[in-house]
Amino acid sequence: MTAQPADVELSMAAALNRSLSDALREDARVVVYGEDVATLGGVFRVTAGLADEFGERRVFDSPLAESGIVGTAIGMAMNGLRPVVEMQFDAFSYPAFEQITSHLAKMHNRTRGRIRLPIVIRVPFGGGIGGVEHHSDSSEAYWVHTPGLRVVAPGTASDAYWLLRQAINSDDPTIFLEPKRRYWSTETLSAAPAADFDRALVRRGGSDATLIAYGAMVDTCLQAAEAAVEVGLNIEVIDLRTLSPLDDDTLVESVRKSGRAVVVHEAAGFAGFGAEIAARVTERCFHQLHAPIGRVTGLDIPYPPPMLEQHYLPSVDRILDAIERLQFDDTVVMPRA
Amino acid sequence: MPEFRLPDLGEGLVDAEILTWLVSVGDDVQVDQPVIEVETAKASVQIPVPFSGRVSALHGAPGERIAVGSPLMSVETVSANVLVGYGPADGSPRQARRSSIKKSFASYEAARTAQPDTQPAVISPVVRKLARDRGLDLRQLSASDPSGVIRRADVERADDGRPNDGSGIERIPLTGVRRLAADRFTQSRREIPEATVWVDVDATRLVQAHRDLDLSLLSLISRLCIAGLKRFTQLNSRVGSEAIELLPQVNLGFAAQTDKGLMVPVIPGADRLSTRQLAAALAERAAAARAGTLTPRDLSGGTFTVNNYGVYGVDGSAAIINYPEVAMLGIGRIFERPWVYEGSVAVRQVSQLTLVFDHRACDGAVAGGFLRYVADCVENPVMALADL
Amino acid sequence: MTAVSSARLLPTDEPRCLIDSDGCAHADLGHNDDTRLPSDVVLLHLYRRMVIGRRFDAQATALTKQGRLAVYPSSHGQDACQVGTVAAMADRDWLFPTYRDSVAMISRGINPVEVLTLLRGDWHCGYDPYLHRTAPQCTPLATNTLHAVGLAHAARQAGEDTVAVAMLGDGASSEGDTHEALNIAAVWQAPVVFVVQNNGYAISVPLAKQSHAQSLAHKGIGYGMPGLLIDGNDAAIVYAAVSEGIARARRGGGPTLIEGITYRIEAHTNADDDRRYRQSSEVTAWLAKDPIERLQKYLQNKGILSDADIASVREDADIRAGRLREAMNSAPALDPAELFEHVYVEPTRNLRRQSRWLGEELAAARRP
Repeated sequence: MTAQPADVELSMAAALNRSLSDALREDARVVVYGEDVATLGGVFRVTAGLADEFGERRVFDSPLAESGIVGTAIGMAMNGLRPVVEMQFDAFSYPAFEQITSHLAKMHNRTRGRIRLPIVIRVPFGGGIGGVEHHSDSSEAYWVHTPGLRVVAPGTASDAYWLLRQAINSDDPTIFLEPKRRYWSTETLSAAPAADFDRALVRRGGSDATLIAYGAMVDTCLQAAEAAVEVGLNIEVIDLRTLSPLDDDTLVESVRKSGRAVVVHEAAGFAGFGAEIAARVTERCFHQLHAPIGRVTGLDIPYPPPMLEQHYLPSVDRILDAIERLQFDDTVVMPRA
Repeated sequence: MPEFRLPDLGEGLVDAEILTWLVSVGDDVQVDQPVIEVETAKASVQIPVPFSGRVSALHGAPGERIAVGSPLMSVETVSANVLVGYGPADGSPRQARRSSIKKSFASYEAARTAQPDTQPAVISPVVRKLARDRGLDLRQLSASDPSGVIRRADVERADDGRPNDGSGIERIPLTGVRRLAADRFTQSRREIPEATVWVDVDATRLVQAHRDLDLSLLSLISRLCIAGLKRFTQLNSRVGSEAIELLPQVNLGFAAQTDKGLMVPVIPGADRLSTRQLAAALAERAAAARAGTLTPRDLSGGTFTVNNYGVYGVDGSAAIINYPEVAMLGIGRIFERPWVYEGSVAVRQVSQLTLVFDHRACDGAVAGGFLRYVADCVENPVMALADL
Repeated sequence: MTAVSSARLLPTDEPRCLIDSDGCAHADLGHNDDTRLPSDVVLLHLYRRMVIGRRFDAQATALTKQGRLAVYPSSHGQDACQVGTVAAMADRDWLFPTYRDSVAMISRGINPVEVLTLLRGDWHCGYDPYLHRTAPQCTPLATNTLHAVGLAHAARQAGEDTVAVAMLGDGASSEGDTHEALNIAAVWQAPVVFVVQNNGYAISVPLAKQSHAQSLAHKGIGYGMPGLLIDGNDAAIVYAAVSEGIARARRGGGPTLIEGITYRIEAHTNADDDRRYRQSSEVTAWLAKDPIERLQKYLQNKGILSDADIASVREDADIRAGRLREAMNSAPALDPAELFEHVYVEPTRNLRRQSRWLGEELAAARRP
């Protein structure tokens, strides 16, 4: 992968766009398709201009058929292409659930490695955009629970650029979750990837407690860490970047030092990805823990209507509250719910 | 001679019923020739024999139920085409595992039977480890938090007098007897609206009686108190929420100072003992207290307490009632003081008696009356005779 | 598309046939007047392959009853569809089979032991898909149709003249993926031939409960692709129709939907009891339309298949079946460590840890 020139400040959507065009340019096997991605340039403009630049053979609109999009991508990959397809919104990926779990995730294993499926499925995920029903879901738990898939969620524009390049380059199938409420956040693109594809990153160093997050929640956690300074707490924030495979080494190293951790994600808490992180980190850090690992998550309800979503989403205050409940000062705190 | 066993019929089926034999003993059979029809839970199926030869035996009759892996048929064959993977799996690997689990489990079991049903609740594994490192048994620690969860502070409190970080603070842990007493005092002061009356007495005659009888002063005072309690029964009672319960006997407690702290051994039914018996009991209980052999039962159930703090060289005390009793009599030091005796100033053995009482149990007249009575008996022990 | 041109997409009302169940050849009553009978060489080839396939199918069925295979979905009765389809394909074409298409796969040249790996249960796919240009057997019905469309489209984009042949049954035709695949194939004009083996049942559910269409081939017009309705027990028409579809696809004419009317003589699998949902008289009636018998009769009548030839073919089939039986007698090589090897291109840290743990567990079990 060629390096990007530094000093370029881009929105996450623009960074993704550039990532796609750079990938299309560098590898003739890459094709991009989905609903409305070509002429319209995508409902979030992430694929804007690509069809013009690379032509209909490389960037094209498919019929409205999610299972069809993923299924045909599998066939294309079998013939040597590297498809990057789009599911228009998180919840609209569900018709493709079977193709993803029964074939995309299993084909390499099924054929003892002979068939590789270097496919990236891009999915705008998460809420906080005032979307009506089905437009704000977070589906990562289904995907991380499926062995054979890589699941990636950038939290920053620069990571969006580099993680997408890495996902396209990887020969493993990847579910690429784009935090849609951060599409318009801007950042200067780094000249190289911030870390390896499957490594988490410490975004903010601290020793009093560790916040673990991905996607849109990384920024929320950074805000919470800033606010925590006022109460004298120095909080470490870890951006997972890749959800599966999970970089437990980085998490464990941090929590063994801090002894306190909170996982933050938008998806409903029950059986959410935070549960796996909490269990895994607890197993490895049990004796260093001053308190149980907290989780700040969405409520255990279907994603609410836009007028009520602020009660559902993890907020800076909820995160701070969770941090305070980590039994600092030797105070006993019982779980609330 | 190969045995044709009932094959694994798939889909979790574990046995089948024989419907009909398609061959007989003595028949020649070819590979894959159907030889038997069986019925499973799902369907009836004809099963082909996997090798050829002459049927030498049929195992099982129509109507019989046979398990997967059981012999169906014996065949004399030239080429013994024995198929592998038939029937139930080999059991030995699992056995090996079970014995290794058993070993590591044995020590846990031994530890577990010694423990109560619930684990002590500890605020975090870090604190659990702290207690372990300091050699403290979590079950012996008391939790200060209302939730019952043992906190770091509880562990550090229990840790024996290790000065911490050079501040010069020496720590005496509040555990065991000390803790119990502390709790008792607090409760008493918190719940009982007590009042105190005191009086100076001329104890010269009592001291003489003590020498003449060779019975301890404490035993004589106690005997006089018991006499007083028989008259002023409200002072040997318990205050309930609805009523003051006058208790039928006097279980006399007395304060005993030991290495472990203040103890109040109780002599049950002290009112039935003679003075001599009372003295012996007091002596015995005091010795036991100092030796540390008293059980919690020995220290409970008292109805009235006598407290000789005169041994400390002080006169009076605004003492704390031994909850849930309603009164305590204390006697200070006995020493020579000028006193008006029979009209002129003389040197007498004077002491101060203090009665602290629960004002709910009685009023000042009763308390004062009791104290006056005991004082009179102290000054003139013969007075008690009338009530013995 | 005009009404006239779209009418061309409709199948015939009756299934097209070249050699009927009495073994008599007649002119194809299809649209295309020059659908000729395949050459004698081809017909003999089809016959031989069907005999070998039928014998294989019987052997696999026996092996299942002997507990050597976990399950075997038989294609007895569908031999013409199995063999005729594959015979029409070139080596460079791709086959997308289902779990019932074992005979098609051995006809394609895949080692029968490798074909049966999935059904024996030692791995999910026993052969190299690229070596035989045959996708792994598909169990979730109809999902393979989309893969076929994607591959065919990619091949055409790359300038290759590869054609993908997707196999599915009457039951699978109800699945959403079938609809999406047919639609996308037609929109993209992908070089795909969809071969629907209508064997009358989806396990126990008959066609009447599966579709209300006049025929499954009639669905083609809904997508703008030609639908061909053929007698699936006539190897000759199967070969001819699939060849026609492949030729159309190769010259850029887009996809074709072919429906072969046939019958599943055996139950769904060894674990199924078909007496619960169909009459044995129905099965017997279809036995009279056996695809091998009719072709044998035709070839014998034409004088190009002698008794000696027949015996020779059967012997060959028996030898192959015997070889299969022997191969299946030995236990397959199983390595639990392999469970972790191919989940990703490179095992992840987590998988390497789990693999080590499993290794320790196995070592402990082996210790006395």
